[in-house]
Formats: sequence, structure tokens, C-alpha cells
Amino acid sequence: MRSTLLTLSIKRFHKEKDSSPWIETFQVETRKGMNLLEALLRIQDEQDGTLAFRYSCRGAVCGSCAMRVNGQDVLACRTHVEDLLGKPTLVGPLPLFPVTRDLIVDMSTFFNHYRKIEPFLHGKPISSQTEYSIKEGERKEIDPYIQCILCGICFGSCPAFEKDSQFLGPAMLAKAYRFLADPRDMRNDEILKAIDGQRGVWGCKTVFNCVKVCPKEVPPTHAIVKMRGKILKHRFVSLFAQILSLLRRSSL
Amino acid sequence: MELLSHDILIIGGGLAGLRAAIEAKKASWDVAILSKVHPLRSHSVAAQGGINAALGNAPAPIKDSWENHAFDTIKGSDYLADQDAVEVMCREGIEKVIEMEHWGTLFSRTEEGKIAQRPFGGAGFPRTCYAADRTGHNLLHVLYEQATGLQICVYEEWVALSLIVEDGRCAGVLALNFFQGKIIPIHAKVLLLATGGHGRIYLRSTNAVINTGSGCFLAYQAGVPLEDMEFVQFHPTSLYGTNILITEAARGEGGYLINAEGERFMERYAPHLMELGPRDIVARGIQTEIDEDRGFEGGYVHLDLRHLGREKILDRLPGTRQIAMDFAGVDPILEPIPIQPAQHYSMGGIPTNVDGETPLPRLYAAGECACVSVHGANRLGGNSLLETVVFGARAGKKAAQKAKAEKDGPDLTLFQERLRAFQSELEKILGRKGEEPCFQLRDEMKSLMTYQVGTFRKESDLRIAKGKIKELKKRLLNVGIKQKGLAFNYEFIQYWELGGMLHLAEVIVEGALARKESRGSHFRVDYPHRDDEHWLRHTLAFKTPEGVKLDYKEVTITSYPPKERTY
Repeated sequence: MRSTLLTLSIKRFHKEKDSSPWIETFQVETRKGMNLLEALLRIQDEQDGTLAFRYSCRGAVCGSCAMRVNGQDVLACRTHVEDLLGKPTLVGPLPLFPVTRDLIVDMSTFFNHYRKIEPFLHGKPISSQTEYSIKEGERKEIDPYIQCILCGICFGSCPAFEKDSQFLGPAMLAKAYRFLADPRDMRNDEILKAIDGQRGVWGCKTVFNCVKVCPKEVPPTHAIVKMRGKILKHRFVSLFAQILSLLRRSSL
Repeated sequence: MELLSHDILIIGGGLAGLRAAIEAKKASWDVAILSKVHPLRSHSVAAQGGINAALGNAPAPIKDSWENHAFDTIKGSDYLADQDAVEVMCREGIEKVIEMEHWGTLFSRTEEGKIAQRPFGGAGFPRTCYAADRTGHNLLHVLYEQATGLQICVYEEWVALSLIVEDGRCAGVLALNFFQGKIIPIHAKVLLLATGGHGRIYLRSTNAVINTGSGCFLAYQAGVPLEDMEFVQFHPTSLYGTNILITEAARGEGGYLINAEGERFMERYAPHLMELGPRDIVARGIQTEIDEDRGFEGGYVHLDLRHLGREKILDRLPGTRQIAMDFAGVDPILEPIPIQPAQHYSMGGIPTNVDGETPLPRLYAAGECACVSVHGANRLGGNSLLETVVFGARAGKKAAQKAKAEKDGPDLTLFQERLRAFQSELEKILGRKGEEPCFQLRDEMKSLMTYQVGTFRKESDLRIAKGKIKELKKRLLNVGIKQKGLAFNYEFIQYWELGGMLHLAEVIVEGALARKESRGSHFRVDYPHRDDEHWLRHTLAFKTPEGVKLDYKEVTITSYPPKERTY
């Protein structure tokens, strides 16, 4: 019979205790259908109350438990332990963020980038009694980007963010597109201006890592490519207008 | 001593907390939110099926109205809801839902481009506005976005430990900065609790791991009674194994409940509404099938969506499909989902009026931790999200008015004294060398609550529960805490929260023991009928040195006299 003993080698870090991280191995008896978050909670309960990690919903909607497991960035609650049995599993914090303690990372850069895109609807004026009219097609265009739970996994696997921590990052660019494509939002140029540049859409390496790793199937790269198209179209239109006005002036 | 001060401090950053904060901030007050998790990790995010409002967008022979909504809610509550509060919720809910849409919530749409509405349990009209089956996620992100736009201050990953009460008024809170391990007093002219539910006192619960009822306990500890705590909602359909919620929308969209004999058994329990009966009745129906050996081995029945077809499932229930696949390895397009009832919601909580005011001056409450009471003995699906935005906004508005009237600043000596007293108490706890593991006690409490204080209750079980809780409270004193600092001290938090949960469990059991009738979610097999003559009243539980003391108060009836409840 296959062993039901899960071996987790967890990358730990307590800056008051030791300035460098260390690896500690734990073993947990598993049961059918168990996920990695449950295994970690069990370790915290029964073996080591100092093991630090974030958790909340345990149903893959709150975005708390993002971490790196055997080189893949995942939500612990959505990771089945059955797939991890048989060999030691290496569990570490989400990469590219400063580690606060053990599996907890400091996400302040992430949420600073979030604030930079002014992530709230700048609604067109409407009476408080009536709803906006949105066609189902318009809703479906935005819907995939609405699913983002801001877990940070896409940042952890993004080569552009790795190179420059000021790169807005996949989740935020997807969020910017969500407002750009929303027929209720009156912004257009403002959003495009905020994401134009090497720290915006042009910094993306279009390797689609974010699309592959997203636990909620959000496709940030698709949004980035669409926004690049809009910026180029914008530039082309204004260039064309400039030429037209020059021509008009010279013909006077 | 470091002392922080705000006009309005809100504990909890879920829907009710955020909505209250936005309202108070718009009235130009200094508002801060304190939450043990980042606001986006709050349990509101897990709400799925929708939010009720009588918009009348769905095709129906006659137009829906807020009065119809109020009637359905009151009947659903088994006539225990305060009808004036229900009327406020149903009337104001319409504009509050439209407001959420104006702020960016991406509701699903009708063909005409209006907010789509689906049928839900116990409702006479398709009244539940939805964003596929991720309505809570949509609403929470939108409110957090609004709060971000207003630059509302948030103390993320701080834990509220104890309310500071002076001269019969709430003056602030002692809070723990969990990462730094420092206890910091926070003065507030007005303090608002929006900490959500306490589902985690049950073994089988749809609630997030963080739902330990801390706000209810903070209030209870400070001398505020808790109202109607024996009314605990069991959701009919939680995923077998993990008890993650499978939305009522699955039945709203036409899903069937099937037992091991292949029967659509709801015919026996709600012959007219069938699967769309109210939650208390459907949950008891399922539990009866399981108890009478018509369930599947292990204790579950099937929720079958296959006849809805691939397209409808992908369009309306994509989150449900993802949950079933991720957590049970079942694709609902191809196979039925194994489900069983599980604790889901707490109708009871901190008593408030329609403006969020509690019996303790300067203390407000909103959302699941509060009891207005709009849900009475049984909440209808789609009404909890509505409650958070309607009463969150009302409480925020009233709190802002109250803050304006309060002129006095923090009394430094008071905060110093309370901090010192708390710290010396804490030193005793952290120095303890007990051998009892905390998780063991917690797990015993959870099993006890699920098996003895669940969908079906009886005197003998409740007496056992009462004795066991007393024993657990005693054993709690033998729990040792190895870590001495407070930074990242999960052992301490577990211990601290367990103490609170045991008190809440005790209140539930006492209320259930005393209430010798069956009403809504509270079903006593030894008293299977509703008894309006003796029990059409709210329970109030007070914390006294001798234990829980029960008192009662009248139910407010306006236009809907209690009637027999059939579906």
C-alpha cells in the first residue's frame, strides 16, 4: 500500500533568530482528500506553533495562502496532498517578495502597485435610482479579469517583475484593463497613460507565465496585448491628426 | 505608551465593515478599519449566490415589490424577525444594490442589459441579483476598491483583544499588532464591530478558518448581551469532505436533490417549493434522509446539475464547478455533487437597532456579528449580503453623527491602567506550563457542537453539551503556551479565540436548552412545534460571574401577523 505519510521540507525564516533562512522537515499523516493548507494547519497545531503562514477561506477564493511548492506557485488550499506523497515536498514563500516570516511575505509593493492604477470605478453620471445598462457581451469581455483574487501568484512567476519591482505586474495590468473595458467607467486616456511605459504594458515579456499559473484562470497577458493595441492605435490616430493639421497649415 | 486615536474605529474589513467605513469617511470623519486579515481575505469573499432586492427585473406575471420581499423574509424567519427592521432592509435594499452596481459590481445581466435576478429559497419572486456564482467576491472587491479610493486607513493583521469600557460607554480597544507582537490601545469616539460569524465552533461549517466570533465575544465580555444565539443556520448543501459551500443558486438554477434510492426527496418536506424551500427545511430534509439510511455511505446525498447542461453550468455556476472539481474531484457537468448540511450562518449576535446602535453607548455593530434582527429564526439566502450593505451604511452614518457629538479626547490614564491590567493578566497566561493541547480542546468542542447542537436537538443532548463545555472551559486553564512573545504567536491566538468560542458555544446551548419549541433553524425533537404563546420572543444572554443569564424581549410585529409556515 502506498504510504500516506506526507513529508514537507519547509523553508523557514525568523529574522530575530537567524538572519538566513533554514529548511525544516515535518511529517504529517494524511487522509483522503486532504489539501496542503490542512497539512500546514495540522503542523501548526500539533508540532510547531511557531510556523507562520496566512490562511482564511480554505476554498481558493480569498487569496491568502499563495506559496511556492516544488518550484510551482500555488494556493496551498487548492493543492492536493495525494499529489505530493512519496517524496519530500519543498514548501517556501511566494518568491520575489520580501519574506516577513516563514511562508508570509510582505505584499506592500503589490498593493502599492494596485493603488497606482486607481482601481475603482470612475462612473459616468447616472441617477441613483437606475442601473447602468450593460450588454451581456460587454460583461463577458470584463468577466475573466474580475475573477482575480489578488493572491500575488502571477507576480511571483513574472520575469518583468523579477527584473524591476516597479513593474506594475500582471494582476494590476489585468485590473487596469477591467476598468478600461468597463462601459460604465469614464476613463480612457487616463488608464492608458498610467500603464503606458516600460513599467506598464511595455515591460511585459509576453511569456504567458501569469496566464499559466493563475489559480482563477485570469489571462493578464491577453489584457496587456489588448492595451498595447489600444495605445498604438491611439498614437497612430494622434500622429495622423498632427500630419493632417500640418498639411492643412502648409496648404493655407 | 503608544496610543492611537480615531473618531471611528471599525473592527472587521468584510462587507459590513467596509460599507460602514465608506459611509463614515464620506461624512469626513477620521475612520480606520482594524482587521485580523487583509480586508480582501474576509469571509464575505466566499458568498456565492447573490443579493436580494425587489428590482423586478426578471420576467414574472406581476411586478415584485419590497413589501413582497419583506413578507418572504418574515415568513422565512418563522416570524421571529423584527418586522420594522425587515421593512427598512427590503425598502432601502433596492437603492443599496443599485449603488453597488454604480460602484462597479459586475452583476450578470438580463437580455435588456439590466441586473439579472434568479430564484432563491423561500422567495416568491426571482429576486436574487447575482454575479454568476461569485457575488460576494465581486461585492467585496468593489467595496475595497471604494475604500482604497477614499484612502481609508487599515490596520491589517491586527487582532482586537478587549474593549475598553468606562462610565458605561465604550472608549476604545486593546489591539495586538500581530507581526510586531505589541499590544496597542486605540481610542475611538465610536467603535463599530463588524467581525462576521462564529461558524468555526462547529466541526462541519462552510465558514472560513478565521470565523471565530471574536466580535460577539468582545461585546459579550464587555457586558453586552447576545441575542438569539441558539438560531444557527445549517446550509443544506456543503461539499462532502471539506464542507465548502455549494451555493443555493445551484438549486435556484434548477438543480435536484437526490437520495441514494434515486428519489427527489424534497417532495416529502416542501411539496410546492421542492429544492427551493427555505434553508432550515431543506437542511432538515437532507439530514432526515441521511439519518434514515437513504443517504450515501459516509452521510451525504447528491446535488444533481447534469440536466442543466454544460452551457448553463459554465455561464451561471462556474465557481461551483471549480469548487467541485478542485475539492471533490467531481465535474458537475458529468456527475452529481456529494453534499451534506453544515453550519453556515449565525442569525443571532450583538443586539442592535436599525442604526447599528448596541445597548452599550458608543458601541455599534453591523453584519453577521449583529442581530438587528432581520433574519429571526432562519435567514433566507441572499439576505445576508443585503444586510451588510444596508445596515453597514446605516451604522456608518449614525456612527459619524455620534462622533460629531463627542468632544472629549482619550483619557490617557484610563488607557494606561487598562493596558497594564491586561498585560499582567497576559503574563500569567504566557507563563503557564500546562500540558493540555489547545487544538484537542477545540476539536472536541467542534464535534460536540455538530453532533449535539446541530440540525436536530433534544434535551438530553443539550445537557451533555452543557456539561462538556463546562469541562472544556476548565481544561482550557491547563493549556500551556510555549512561546513567550506575542509576535506571530499562533498558540496564544488559538488559545485566546478558543476561550471566546467556548463562551459563545455555551450561550448557544443555554438558549437552545431553554427554548422549548421548534422555530426556524432551532428544531427540538422533543418539542417539534412552534409555540408563539410562550416563545414568540427574542432571547438575550448576559455574561455573569455565575454563568449565562437568560432574559427575553418582545418581537416587533408591524403588518405581518404570525401564521403557520408551509412551503
